[in-house]
Amino acid sequence: MLKKTQVKSNFKYSFLILPAVLMAFVFSCTKDEPAPKEAKIILNFTQFCEGQPLEYDTMKYVNAAGNHYLVNEIQYFISDVKLHRSDGTFQLIDQFEDIHYVDTDIPATQSWQVFDPIIAGDYEKVSFTFGISEEKNQSLMFVNPPERDMFWPDVLGGGYHYMKLNGKWLAAKNLVIPFKTNNFLMFLCQTPSSPDDILKPFNFHLGIGQLYADSSMNTDSITGFVQNYFEVELPNSGFTISGGDTLNFEIRMNVENWFQNPHIWDHNHWGGMIMQNQEAMKTACENGKEDVFSFEK
Amino acid sequence: MKILVLKNGFIEVSKKSRKKQCSFGMLLLLLTAVIIFCISCRKSPPPEPYTPTPYQIEIPYGFPIMLNIPTDNPMSVEGIELGRTLFYDGRLNGRTHPDSLMSCFTCHQQENSFEVGKPRPYPFGVTGQSTHHAMLPMINLVWNMGTFGWDGSVGSIEEDVLVVISAPTEFDSSPEKVVNTIKNIDGYPEFFKKAFGTKEVTVDRIAKAIAQFVRTLISSDSKFDKYLRGEEQLSPEELRGFVLFTTEEGADCFHCHGGSGNPLFTTNKFYNNGKDSVFTDPFDRFGVTGDPMEKGAYKATTLRNIELTGPYMHDGRFETLDEVVEFYSKQLISTPYIDPLMHHIVNGGIQLTPNEKADLMAFIKTLRDEEFLTNPVFAKPDRMPGL
Repeated sequence: MLKKTQVKSNFKYSFLILPAVLMAFVFSCTKDEPAPKEAKIILNFTQFCEGQPLEYDTMKYVNAAGNHYLVNEIQYFISDVKLHRSDGTFQLIDQFEDIHYVDTDIPATQSWQVFDPIIAGDYEKVSFTFGISEEKNQSLMFVNPPERDMFWPDVLGGGYHYMKLNGKWLAAKNLVIPFKTNNFLMFLCQTPSSPDDILKPFNFHLGIGQLYADSSMNTDSITGFVQNYFEVELPNSGFTISGGDTLNFEIRMNVENWFQNPHIWDHNHWGGMIMQNQEAMKTACENGKEDVFSFEK
Repeated sequence: MKILVLKNGFIEVSKKSRKKQCSFGMLLLLLTAVIIFCISCRKSPPPEPYTPTPYQIEIPYGFPIMLNIPTDNPMSVEGIELGRTLFYDGRLNGRTHPDSLMSCFTCHQQENSFEVGKPRPYPFGVTGQSTHHAMLPMINLVWNMGTFGWDGSVGSIEEDVLVVISAPTEFDSSPEKVVNTIKNIDGYPEFFKKAFGTKEVTVDRIAKAIAQFVRTLISSDSKFDKYLRGEEQLSPEELRGFVLFTTEEGADCFHCHGGSGNPLFTTNKFYNNGKDSVFTDPFDRFGVTGDPMEKGAYKATTLRNIELTGPYMHDGRFETLDEVVEFYSKQLISTPYIDPLMHHIVNGGIQLTPNEKADLMAFIKTLRDEEFLTNPVFAKPDRMPGL
């Protein structure tokens, strides 16, 4: 048997029932699905030089040091892409792939359809690691091509090249300048003016550096290793993404900037190989941090 | 409806009900007969399709897990055995006269790492014509992702078998001739049935079976493999050679030929390595891609068992490995086509001292795989059909 006070109390709250039922009815009748809060992004990788898409195997570029050069191919890793919010938090891209390989000879590598669902909202900037962090850069983690072919010898620190940028430069004045047009390799010949005139290959390869006890670059004198990977904060990379959206972004490598700002890179000084030259790799990476990469929406 | 009557203490079905029950029983009987008749007239289910015993490749330590096995030619124990038999059967070229027998084995000999061996720089076919290039060994081809041959023009092992059958420089035969010969040899049709579920011999099945066998030819047990697995130590000389091999300031072989991070000891890519100043060979990589930067470019061969697979380079110009090392040391020729990875060109080569050459050679010899060269499962079968 209900006490009188209980009945009174029950009655007191019964006025809430009607609006609750009405609200439930109204909401249940809403046709719109709740807005999805997740979105997708696609990162597209491009290579530019002097403001235009890079042309390969053509001796048409001149760097800040005055070296005429051509680019044959570029292969590199970026990893740990982060989407930063204004409150200091960020979303790390790591669910399916946290290290992405880009190869100018393999179109499929030049577009990364990020698996991670992106939380809708405003993002202040995008950053990534150029190369691979010390923790992740482990030998034999990639056994399949093409990533496998980036391996960095264990004796030099192990893991993988951060980048191979292969090309050629004219060591002195022009002797024979190759340029490619309509699938033909043409040559611009000039009278040799110096016995030093020669087309030299350069392997602008970046990875783990070594410290040597002397200047011999003999691996027996290695005293330690240097992690040369670096963080890139892409300028003007803020964006807003809504639930259900898929946004395409372009991460552009501006090749000429590897060779300038803050350091002017002279191929004649550094030569054709730098894997065992930490000073050269440090110089290159300082240029890389500056303005090699840009962001296009 | 049944009517129950209590009689002598027992419950019985009434007569009226019994009559109804009788006619119902007849109906039931008839229905059952019809169902049985229908079921008995139904076709029996088709027999399960024949599937040969699946064969799984074990991935050696450090090797790629990505294999090039076409989806329309899965590997099977029976397919591999048929392939091995055909590989070694001299009647595979469609001829039966003892003087004109030729099979894959004629040139691809196990003791030479499935290569022809040094006495014959260019192998020649049944008519005596030579091939365009020196040979490439058949080794670890299951990891070649589709660029076979010096110029990479052949897309699969199956395709290569078909090319070999018709090429004047090799079998100089025809698919019809080969099929006709093989299908008329006692035992082969049954062999095909075991491998493919049908006795019908076709040239595609011949190619598939041989390709299955070739994909089993895996070398992963050299001294260097054992070193990588921690089972064996390299000598000081071999270790010095390994460092030379794998450093840019050293001999810088690894960018094209792999190393500890790529134990295939080839990237399977194509490079102009500075052998010539003029390029007239129509069978270089340029001949396939049309990219002028690939003039004079050829496949970087695997260095596994390389001491057995001379003569060297696409045209077999070097008889010995010493000559090859000397070439890379001092004889590179600079042209605009040279691959940028050949950066030592500025000095004419890697400029090795005699001691360094010896060290490098000692390391290269650690890539010899005796187990591969003597493994009986790769050898000629004891019995051949019809013989």
